[in-house]
Amino acid sequence: MPFISEILRHKSLSIVGLEKNTGKTVCLNYILHRMNQIGKHVGVTSIGVDGEQVDSVFATAKPEITLFRGTHFITSEKHYLMRQAVSKLVAVDSQRTSLGPLVTAEVLIQGKALLSGAATTGALKRQIEFLGSMGVDIAIVDGALSRLSLASPTVTDAMILATGAAVSANVKQLIAKTRHLYNLIMLDEVDETLQRKLNIIESGIWALDSEGEIHDLGITSVFLIDRSEQDILRFGTTLFAAGAVSDRLLKILAAKGSGITLIARDFTKLFVTQEVYADFTRRGNRLMVLQRSKLIAITLNPTSPQGFLLDSKSTCDALSEALHTPVYDVKMIGQ
Amino acid sequence: MKIKDLIKNDAGFQYIIDSMDLMSAAGRNAMLNGTFCSDGATLEAEWDRLDEAIRATNDIPNRRYYIDLRHCLMCLHDLGGTFSSLANHMPLNEVELFEIKSLCALSRSASSAIEGLGLSPTLPLPDCSQPFAILDPDRTGIANFYIYDSYDPELPALRRKLNALQTSGGDPVRISELLARQNEIQNSVCIRLSDELRPWTDTLVKTMEQMAYADFLLARAELAIRWNLVRPALGSATSYRALFNPRVRQRNEELHLRYQPVDIALNDGVCLITGANMAGKTVLLKSIGTAQMMAQCGMYVPAEEATVRLVEGVATSIGDDQDEMNGLSSYASEIIKISHILEACRNSNLLVLIDEPARTTNPVEGKALVQAIIKILEHQPSITLITTHYGQLGTACRRLRVKGFVEDMENIPLTPQSINRFIDYSLTEDQSDNVPHEALRIASILQCDTEMIALAQESLK
Repeated sequence: MPFISEILRHKSLSIVGLEKNTGKTVCLNYILHRMNQIGKHVGVTSIGVDGEQVDSVFATAKPEITLFRGTHFITSEKHYLMRQAVSKLVAVDSQRTSLGPLVTAEVLIQGKALLSGAATTGALKRQIEFLGSMGVDIAIVDGALSRLSLASPTVTDAMILATGAAVSANVKQLIAKTRHLYNLIMLDEVDETLQRKLNIIESGIWALDSEGEIHDLGITSVFLIDRSEQDILRFGTTLFAAGAVSDRLLKILAAKGSGITLIARDFTKLFVTQEVYADFTRRGNRLMVLQRSKLIAITLNPTSPQGFLLDSKSTCDALSEALHTPVYDVKMIGQ
Repeated sequence: MKIKDLIKNDAGFQYIIDSMDLMSAAGRNAMLNGTFCSDGATLEAEWDRLDEAIRATNDIPNRRYYIDLRHCLMCLHDLGGTFSSLANHMPLNEVELFEIKSLCALSRSASSAIEGLGLSPTLPLPDCSQPFAILDPDRTGIANFYIYDSYDPELPALRRKLNALQTSGGDPVRISELLARQNEIQNSVCIRLSDELRPWTDTLVKTMEQMAYADFLLARAELAIRWNLVRPALGSATSYRALFNPRVRQRNEELHLRYQPVDIALNDGVCLITGANMAGKTVLLKSIGTAQMMAQCGMYVPAEEATVRLVEGVATSIGDDQDEMNGLSSYASEIIKISHILEACRNSNLLVLIDEPARTTNPVEGKALVQAIIKILEHQPSITLITTHYGQLGTACRRLRVKGFVEDMENIPLTPQSINRFIDYSLTEDQSDNVPHEALRIASILQCDTEMIALAQESLK
């Protein structure tokens, strides 16, 4: 069975999708099933609302999540009361979501349930810690919509990326889009000294000089970069963006010249399109990250919500070849 | 008047409330719904409890009980909605039942921490062992909850069947039927448990309220220790030794500036405060208002020694209330406010704090208005403090003057940054009807336009 032993080397795992309907839930069910077979204690939650019986955007049938005996799960009060598993409550959070407070329970008799979770990554981190305190071997976070923030290495230790026909029914485009995100996930990390130095910076754009000293460029937001009268490369060509990195920032830097290294916190802070990133690198510039996410596997859902079906084997092969990484069909591994 | 209403109009008191280190939302609600109390005996009892809480907070050998108690308070949830469902005969769901069970368990842990701190007489918590027992049919003593098998004779067999079918991938239709039957039973158990818990509603409400109160009390104790606050005595007049304004003192500390506490004694009737600009008259009024509110809301006060004469409310007119949006000028909104204060004073005894009344209109009429305000308030059973720059008011009321500039204190040149070091903020009784004329000197210290100052001096000659 693929990637299960790899998952168990980590304390937390996120499952994120490139799009909706890329098979995150199927993948999660597969992992939960395997963990149950090998007797591992799993904690599971979600970010935001997920696990609807019917997909709220395309109204397609959605597979529910099956929770096994001994699993600790976090969901909202509303979804908890709708569960089909028999479980006992162990905690209720004091903060409320739109679906009531988040509750933590332990499964007594296996059954299906709907997962919802904390709406912010800060709250999600606390939930993961809480699951850890319940003694779980691994805490798994199911992604919602196309949110990526939960896959930040500051939130979860490892990730699985789900892609599929929902991204594009054209295999070439599907590969291009998946490869773009894959490239961002796989960006090189800076060395440890630099990591320590930059990690504590919370906002703004900073420069590194040749001595390795950091300087605040006084740019609080990318939107103000045009207003800055001084040359942003005055200290050197290595820059650190503590917040989000947008197309706009890459374009401005690409126009300044070549040989620029821009360091972002992690790939979830990168909001850059394929074209702009390609232009940025073509001019001899480079993106790096403070921390790289550990990508365990890529899964493919060959069915699109509109009913379009890709050929599973050839698409998986084409993706594997393009990304030099194993790609699994979620429906097949789920069997 | 509740604390939540008081902080709306008083930034100084808001700062005090924001500085409270509360552990729970329920505790915060208890604080915001705390009342401005005018009854001496009630306040003395409240301060007695605060005394006890301070003793317990400082009780180093029993520190672990204190940490336990604060931790319990951190886990306290606001169950107001659940209690009203219970009182209104609505059945509670599993999550709500769990919350009640948690509260009972929490009160048990909190009780033993309170006992360890010797606070049982100060913070008595109701006994919740009975409602806990209703939710703990297997006597496990643990605060987990679900609809236990022992709640219904049909459940154990039904769940055994369900488990067998689920784990072997059995017939989905049969599973659905069993789940539906289980839900029916669970719902009827929820209804039954809600009925059994209903007689305990008052006990549960009281438990939550007492724990929320404990949170507020411990926060007040912690603040009293952190800021060195003092328990006020009750008296027929108000006086403070070394009164300070926590917000201004904090700001000065951040800016490495000196902060000078002041001594003041106030009787019924009007007291005029005069003094140069920048001499701290407005801050003094605010400090006195804040201290009065703190005392009457059951806190200790920011001074080294304090006697407080209780009032029925604090009425203030401080600051520029100009609001273009309501179409009133500074003068108009100020005079309306003062008129409301005069009205209120005719019916109750208040602490009245008016900062430079009628300063934004012409000095002839302005002075006449100040004289009128003094005349009205002089004979009211309220304590009134009025700051003013108007001299020759011709009234017999008491005057306190802020000593103000002591230029020769050190041979350091005066600058806008160092000006604070050359002001003596202490008060002195002033028999004359004059006010200091230092506006031009201050303007020149502040390095304002020299031509303006020269021309002004010229026209004063």
